[in-house]
Amino acid sequence: MEAALEAEGLAKRYGARQAVSDLSFKAPKGSIYGVLGPNGAGKSSTLRMLVGVLKPSAGHISMLGGSVTRSVLKRVGYLPEERGLYRNMSARAAIAYLARLKGMPASKAYKRADALLEAHGLGKVRRKKIKTFSKGMAQKVQVLAAIAHEPDLIIFDEPFSGLDPVNQRTLEDTIRAEAAAGRTVIFSTHIMEHAERLCDRILLIAGGKRAFEGTVNEALALAPSVAILETDGSFDLAATLAPKGFRIAYEREEHGAKRWRAELEGRDGSRRLLAACVEAGAPLSLFEPARASLHEAFVALVGAQAAGEQR
Amino acid sequence: MHPILLVARRDYLAYVGAWGFWISLITAPLLIALVIFAPVLLARAEPPRVIAILAERAEDAALVRGAFLGRAREDARTEIEAYLSATAPAVRDEALAAFDAAEDRARGIEAARQIVQQRAPRALQAFPIPSPRYLIVDPPAQDIEALRPYLMRVQALPNGQELYGVVRIRREAEAPVIEYWSVNLSHEEPSQITRLAMRLAMRREALAAQGLDPLEADRLEEFNPRVVHFDPRPSATGAGEVTLRQRAPFYAALALSFILWSVVFSTANMLLTGVIEEKSNKILDTILTSVTPLEILIGKLLGVAAVSATLFLFWGLIGGSLLSAAVAQSGETFVGQIAAAFLEPRLLAAFGIGFLAGYLMYGAIFLALGSLCESIQEAQTLLGPVALVLALPMMLIAPALDNPNAPLIEMASWFPLFTPFLLLVRAPAGLDWIEIAGMGGLMLVALAIVLMLATRVFHAGVVDQVSVAGLRARLSKKD
Repeated sequence: MEAALEAEGLAKRYGARQAVSDLSFKAPKGSIYGVLGPNGAGKSSTLRMLVGVLKPSAGHISMLGGSVTRSVLKRVGYLPEERGLYRNMSARAAIAYLARLKGMPASKAYKRADALLEAHGLGKVRRKKIKTFSKGMAQKVQVLAAIAHEPDLIIFDEPFSGLDPVNQRTLEDTIRAEAAAGRTVIFSTHIMEHAERLCDRILLIAGGKRAFEGTVNEALALAPSVAILETDGSFDLAATLAPKGFRIAYEREEHGAKRWRAELEGRDGSRRLLAACVEAGAPLSLFEPARASLHEAFVALVGAQAAGEQR
Repeated sequence: MHPILLVARRDYLAYVGAWGFWISLITAPLLIALVIFAPVLLARAEPPRVIAILAERAEDAALVRGAFLGRAREDARTEIEAYLSATAPAVRDEALAAFDAAEDRARGIEAARQIVQQRAPRALQAFPIPSPRYLIVDPPAQDIEALRPYLMRVQALPNGQELYGVVRIRREAEAPVIEYWSVNLSHEEPSQITRLAMRLAMRREALAAQGLDPLEADRLEEFNPRVVHFDPRPSATGAGEVTLRQRAPFYAALALSFILWSVVFSTANMLLTGVIEEKSNKILDTILTSVTPLEILIGKLLGVAAVSATLFLFWGLIGGSLLSAAVAQSGETFVGQIAAAFLEPRLLAAFGIGFLAGYLMYGAIFLALGSLCESIQEAQTLLGPVALVLALPMMLIAPALDNPNAPLIEMASWFPLFTPFLLLVRAPAGLDWIEIAGMGGLMLVALAIVLMLATRVFHAGVVDQVSVAGLRARLSKKD
């Protein structure tokens, strides 16, 4: 697996506060890599260290086959969490300006800006000042500015925040298209659904430390499986099956039926639970094994408190 | 293009593309002209101030009335003299002689005008028509209580005019006592004119008491020794006599110093507001992967320096053309000599160096401060002490003109933050090369330190989002 980016023992300290400690991970070339964690977990600090804005207190970063130098950074596109553009510039000029700062010649930068704006439905307003744009349009321009110079590595910090569902979908498509073109995309988010849909690999961070690194499926496998059950009448499922080692929690009553949530253990957990219910004569009206979410995997990994700000 | 130049170019175009830039470009020379000419125009537009004289003795009233008329004649002569010195010095003396020979003020003005019409018709177009500052009228009542409503503007004079003041002269044991009644408490000129007139009266009376001719007092009043200033330095031109030619550079230096101060302050302010705007718009994080904080700082300094260069080019072309024309047209006149002083290469070089050093120092400081603030309001709390430092050289410029080598001025000019302004003011007085080199060296060292510290603060402000409160802790530890 060839890595587009590799971090080893990365750490960042702000005064007495340790924002990131001993963080190591590899983002494979051409992959979509998610950096996940609650607010304040150290995601932005990590990404800012990757793009050279922040100097790490410790650790080493290898990017696109070398150290993080000025020439390597020219091949990186970055969308910061705290983002904005010159409000009095036109969309076209803003994209071209940022592409030129990355070393793209002026004529090519303007052509590329025009092409990107046209492709993303902003062709007609390309000469309008950004201050006349809606928030969603401005954010779209910012994303385009980050990829205008055709970087090999794209780093987006919380790219979905502030976008409506339609624009979130559009951005997901853009990320997929960039990856399909052979570029590596790393993005941070605290919304797990985006990562589940997009990422090949993820890095879960909590308290500035690595909680997990691997594929989405590997992460999901770490989460406990659950089943949702409903019983009629006053039957107490939790009390009946507790002596047999089943952990079942009562959730609520709906239309005269009681709803329960049971944790499943092992590959045949759902089969054993169903057998126990039948054996106990439970009046079941629903038995539904549920797929664990990335959030549940995260809770399982770092605990409910550390993951408290998820969703 | 190098990222520094791209940042500079963007900032330059952003400022030059704004309406405000063009408005200030055009209005600044107009405002300067307004500041120069407004007091003169206002004074001319003001109607004469109506004064009534109330005296126990008729001869006192006549003497004071004569003094006011004499002052009006003297003012008219001064105005004509100044105008002809600037526009037609060749006919000045002849015109003034005609003025002096005339019976009264009005005839004097007309006589001078006739000379100008015959000998220098081009200068007739703007020939002054001075109006007297005071109009002496008979008092509408004979005691102060009755005059009070007129003085308080409750009641107008029979001809509709408002009474500005009343000069009352009474006698106490034969000695005159002057009372001046007016609601304009800070204006003392009428009482001064009266005092001088009554002093002459007292001298006449004293001479008469001694059995001498009282008019001897008038003759003695005319004694007025000629004063000549000399410059003892070997570098002084001619026999060392100080004329307007030698004084003009001091006035030019004072004016250039004020201009330098205003330009440095306003351009540094542009940098401050620019960086605050970028911080509040969250742009800096976007460009930090392409440009280092130092490059942003240098780019911004260059961009606004280019804006200043554009302003100077525009104003310089206009000002230079006007000054050159003034020198060519009226080289030996007051205007011509002042204009020539402005075009003195050494003074312009001192201005250029002063601007460069002052702009870089204050610009870097303002940029660093701006990087710590999220809003103009926040910046204003920080700007207080900096504005005070900037105001200090301004307070020293006027005394420096009086004595450019005063110990306080000399010491202050060695303080690098003041050097750009005070070096310029001291330049016409003659500075040793050692002094120039020393001050220049110190300024360069200070500039390097300021730039280094500003870069650190700017880095902390834009990269680490350090606020004002966190700055001290940040500076005290190594990154």
